[in-house]
Amino acid sequence: MDNTSQESQLQSENSSTYESTYPLYAMAISSSSTSSNLQRIAVGSFIEEYTNRVDILSFNAETLTLRPNPSLSFDHPYPPTKLMFHPSTPSSLLRHSAVDLLATSGDYLRLWEVRESSVEALSLFNNSKTSEFCAPLTSFDWNDIDPKRIGTSSIDTTCTIWDIEKGVVETQLIAHDKEVYDIAWGEARVFSSVSADGSVRIFDLRDKEHSTIIYESPQPDTPLLRLAWNKQDLRYMATILMDSNKVVILDIRSPTMPVAELERHRGSVSAIAWAPQSSRHICSAGDDAQALIWELPTVAGPNGIDPMSVYSAGCEINQLQWSATQPDWIAIAFANKMQLLRV
Amino acid sequence: MDEARPRNNETAAASSSSSSPSSASASRLPVSSGWRPSRVVFGPYVPPQGEEATAQRPQRLRVAVAVRKPLVARLTKEIVETYQICNPKFKYSEDLNPKRFLTTPSVGVLNDGYDNVNSDLILTVNLVLVHAEKNKRYIVKDLLGHGTFGQVAKCWDSDTNSFVAVKIIKNQPAYYQQALVEVTILTTLNKKYDPEDKHHIVRIYDYFVYQRHLCICFELLDTNLYELIKMNHFRGLSLSIVQLFSKQILCGLALLKDAGIIHCDLKPENILLCTSTVKPAEIKIIDFGSACMENRTVYSYIQSRYYRSPEVLLGYQYTTAIDMWSFGCIVAELFLGLPLFPGASEFDLLRRMIEILGGQPPDYLLREAKNTSKFFKCIGSLQSIELSEGSKNGRSVYQALTEEEYEAREMKKPSVGKEYFNHMNLEAIVTNYPYRKNLPKEDIIRESQIRLALIDFLRGLVEFDPAKRWSPFQASKHPFVTGEPFTQPYQPPPETPRVPVVQTVKVDNNHPGGGHWFAAGLSPNVPGKSRPSLYSAHFQMMQYPPSNSYGSVGSHGSYNESIGLGSSYGSYGDNSNMFPYYSPVGPSGMNMHNQGGMAMLGNSPDARRRVKYQPGSGLGISPSTGNFTPLPLGASPSQFTPPSSYGQVGSPGHYGPTSPARGTTHGSPLGKTPAVSQFNRRKNWGYSGSPQTQETGFSSHWQGQGPDNSNLPEGTSQALGSTPSYVQSNMNPGHWKQRGSGGLSSNLAMQSTDLAHENADSGLSLPDPGDWDPNYSDELLLQEDGSDEGSLTNEFSRSMNLGSTEPWVGSGRLNHGTSTSSPMIIQRLPASGQAFSGEMGSSPMHHDLQAGFVPSMSKPFHYMPHVLQNSPSRFGHQPVQRFPHGRPPQSGDWNQLKVAPPPPSFGSVGQRSPRNTSFSNMTWGRRMNPPVSSMPPTSRARKDYARID
Repeated sequence: MDNTSQESQLQSENSSTYESTYPLYAMAISSSSTSSNLQRIAVGSFIEEYTNRVDILSFNAETLTLRPNPSLSFDHPYPPTKLMFHPSTPSSLLRHSAVDLLATSGDYLRLWEVRESSVEALSLFNNSKTSEFCAPLTSFDWNDIDPKRIGTSSIDTTCTIWDIEKGVVETQLIAHDKEVYDIAWGEARVFSSVSADGSVRIFDLRDKEHSTIIYESPQPDTPLLRLAWNKQDLRYMATILMDSNKVVILDIRSPTMPVAELERHRGSVSAIAWAPQSSRHICSAGDDAQALIWELPTVAGPNGIDPMSVYSAGCEINQLQWSATQPDWIAIAFANKMQLLRV
Repeated sequence: MDEARPRNNETAAASSSSSSPSSASASRLPVSSGWRPSRVVFGPYVPPQGEEATAQRPQRLRVAVAVRKPLVARLTKEIVETYQICNPKFKYSEDLNPKRFLTTPSVGVLNDGYDNVNSDLILTVNLVLVHAEKNKRYIVKDLLGHGTFGQVAKCWDSDTNSFVAVKIIKNQPAYYQQALVEVTILTTLNKKYDPEDKHHIVRIYDYFVYQRHLCICFELLDTNLYELIKMNHFRGLSLSIVQLFSKQILCGLALLKDAGIIHCDLKPENILLCTSTVKPAEIKIIDFGSACMENRTVYSYIQSRYYRSPEVLLGYQYTTAIDMWSFGCIVAELFLGLPLFPGASEFDLLRRMIEILGGQPPDYLLREAKNTSKFFKCIGSLQSIELSEGSKNGRSVYQALTEEEYEAREMKKPSVGKEYFNHMNLEAIVTNYPYRKNLPKEDIIRESQIRLALIDFLRGLVEFDPAKRWSPFQASKHPFVTGEPFTQPYQPPPETPRVPVVQTVKVDNNHPGGGHWFAAGLSPNVPGKSRPSLYSAHFQMMQYPPSNSYGSVGSHGSYNESIGLGSSYGSYGDNSNMFPYYSPVGPSGMNMHNQGGMAMLGNSPDARRRVKYQPGSGLGISPSTGNFTPLPLGASPSQFTPPSSYGQVGSPGHYGPTSPARGTTHGSPLGKTPAVSQFNRRKNWGYSGSPQTQETGFSSHWQGQGPDNSNLPEGTSQALGSTPSYVQSNMNPGHWKQRGSGGLSSNLAMQSTDLAHENADSGLSLPDPGDWDPNYSDELLLQEDGSDEGSLTNEFSRSMNLGSTEPWVGSGRLNHGTSTSSPMIIQRLPASGQAFSGEMGSSPMHHDLQAGFVPSMSKPFHYMPHVLQNSPSRFGHQPVQRFPHGRPPQSGDWNQLKVAPPPPSFGSVGQRSPRNTSFSNMTWGRRMNPPVSSMPPTSRARKDYARID
């Protein structure tokens, strides 16, 4: 039992857990640290009601305290599909450094201003022509090179690029033949998306007439749910298939053939995140309650690739974020819990 | 945590690195970032061991939480359902989704806004083409091509869970009518003649009218042979593949001949590879949009120029023999990689024929042909012409015009194309064609023998005299096709030309088994196995083409011959309109008023001779009579008539000398509908034999699968066996590349090909020569010819090695670049298994993503190249470069896990570098600055450099 107690102590020193009153799904870690080394983490509820919640927590990596800010919680229509803080220090945009911009997606794309003790709805981006119908957004990505751009993915088969400063649609592309489930920027004008049509496509805003299919799921029309572009080496991206335990690693220079397929999850994979500080590490989490950290080898062995390390959560992990500003921390969400893990 | 984790992370890491290849390999790599996850919270991965390893906890939890999809699925795939649970008033309508237009222009101006200005139905992705009567739905997924006839869309048929190709005809009466002919011909060919799909004719699945557009649903096929050659750098294919393809095309042509159908536009573009991996290297003949029945040769301006037969060029009556000419041209092109007669004009075409073949059309043909004076001058006296048989003394009274003479007559200079084969004759062209590099001496000797066979084979096909030209059956017995050793010039088994007779006799189709053949006492179930043994090797398949049996019906043969000529040629005439030529003449059907008919017969000693010899000798070696109940129709006792033969020949009761059918034919005003109905009637009648038996005969021979195949030489069957998989593995990269085209200069080629299609189609629908230029690939060929290899690099870089050509290394060729400036480094992955680049850390990508990916490629296409156009739609189109799964572009050498390496016998496949291809096609590269110089060379052994501008 000595081992166990030491381990739990070790764990407690290197992890922090927040327990909510409702199931959590969406999650975002602020890229800027507020005063006193506090990092904001936003979590979105998954409540099967119209009114959902977004809570803003403050994480102190030194004290390992994860503290909710009740004054910063706000209602959100429907469960948010994604939360994201402004990718860079928003000093250019905002007057106070203590102010963060938070974007959420669900029925529409929304921008929120997270202040010291309040959150204000800044804007709602709606491109729909009818009020009666709504095509929900499955995801979005904030362009970290050109932060005025946010790209959204919708089940109406399109991706919409918003200029959030002007509040106008820069372009809307019929990206896929079926619902689009995720979108990721590669550079200022290049993004990629995954879809129910089973394909990963790359788009260049300078040539909207074409796209490139980088990958298609082996079973035709097996939806691809998530996409992660390796920010350390943009040649690589990762995607996951619905109901599959595989993480598919793609090299965009060799379309069609994945360079690696990581198949050590024992349930379907739910979330993936590249390491912000290393081009060859990726974390995945899934229904097997495990978060796996992989190091991509140069050459795969005959038996596939084993992960480097494993973390077992109590139950199915629904979300995974790897903090860009504090790369030693991975955040996972499972059930009602959000947990920060030191890696 | 239900299991204790070792705290000593170092130990854990060590053990894991010894067991895991990933860690092991990582250790010898420079890990630039140096970052490694610590193991404070995360533990080492322990590979599951047996049952115990299957994670129990999550599954138990899963039960407790109730079986629900993961949240990620509930907020993607099921988001509408989820949001509706959250808010029952939530409404989403798929119908409001923006439409992706496939048709250009996409503005609806005709047909209540359904059609664009060209009368094309405006197609969008996921548009449903509804066959109302059958309650079938075809969901449009992509555009495969378009032409003057309309568009071809790749559609999803949810009933069969498969993709099909749907030809959506323009909403104009002329196209509609012409397409109906195609439907009729193909339906008949499929159902009556080839019910088991063994004769390499494209399958027609369905047809219907949707929004006033005739839609014809075909099986979806793959690359055409022109594209295949193009992928092979316009170098010839290996002889074994040429043989394999020849055999299959002949099989299809034999069927056409049986059915009395002339394809009229046979060319490499109209022969497509099958997609199915079950049938590797299988090809099919497509596009019956210009086909006609042999007795209804309406148009005189037919066939794409390179493949146009001399009789068509000269304006002479034509038969199924014109397809055999085209076939000869195709076989030569498959071997040479370039067209045999790439005539830049008809004058040039004829000039090339005469030069390469060393001869000219026979005098009887020239005397009667409408356009003779355009290309020939008469050098004999009038008398000698009247004496006819001018060729008896070996001297023709006609002499081809020189360029200057032609110019003087026509008041314009003839366009003359480049020479590819430097004034060589056929023998020299084939003999001197470069051999594959590094071929062992014995292989060269072997191939030189096969080349001799090929020359002999071609000689029988590109034969000026249509009467002497071999029939599909005759050609199919040639050693080049059978694989037998070629020892002496081939003497084809005699054959009576096809007798196209339209039967008016009604047959009770409800009793397929009770047809005339049964009545005649023929056994419909001839055991196929016993047949071959009864024949010498040469005549092994005597029973094969039913056409063969036509001639064997006693004296009918010769009579039929004349009828046939009268019949099929009677309709010959001006391209503008045939109707005036059709007069309700007497039932004899001899169209004396026409220039064809008897006159030709009188001047065609060859044809006559064959006709006369046919009955007695044709199947004289047929010892099989005993196998069959002799025909009770007074035919020659030696006659062999397989049950699959068609009624009009063997059925005495119906085949009267006066042939009422002929009268009917000519009496009809050539309306499409009457033609159709008669056609069907005749077919039905003929079909009343036993299709199964027919099939047996066919399949055993052609597919090389049946037991009958046993007498094939060993080598041949091996080739057959191995070639398919070989080709298949090669098709894929090729296919991929083809789709990848469109970026740079390759557009040129595509467009010209496209043009050809349009032209061809306009030719069939609007028989206006001025409107129809079959010169589909001139630009391309000229381009190739007139410039150095570099100019074609783009084409070439998309190409592949098919068969016999020497392996090539990507770097060598790609260095030619395409007038580009920024070097691009393509890194190949290591040969073994899946791989992940080791340079990830060391060569982070330039933040500009240029080096990284391959945007901006053109539309994928199957049938025809399709050059994408913009749409006025608010939404950008998103045509995609598609890399279909299961068709990996990578060659076996560096992705052995996924791509089966080609069989050793085709080891010449060599390396292909599809990725180079993709890079050299990058259009973004052209647009974007600065050049990507930030990607350092990789440490891989093989580097391929491509340049993009």
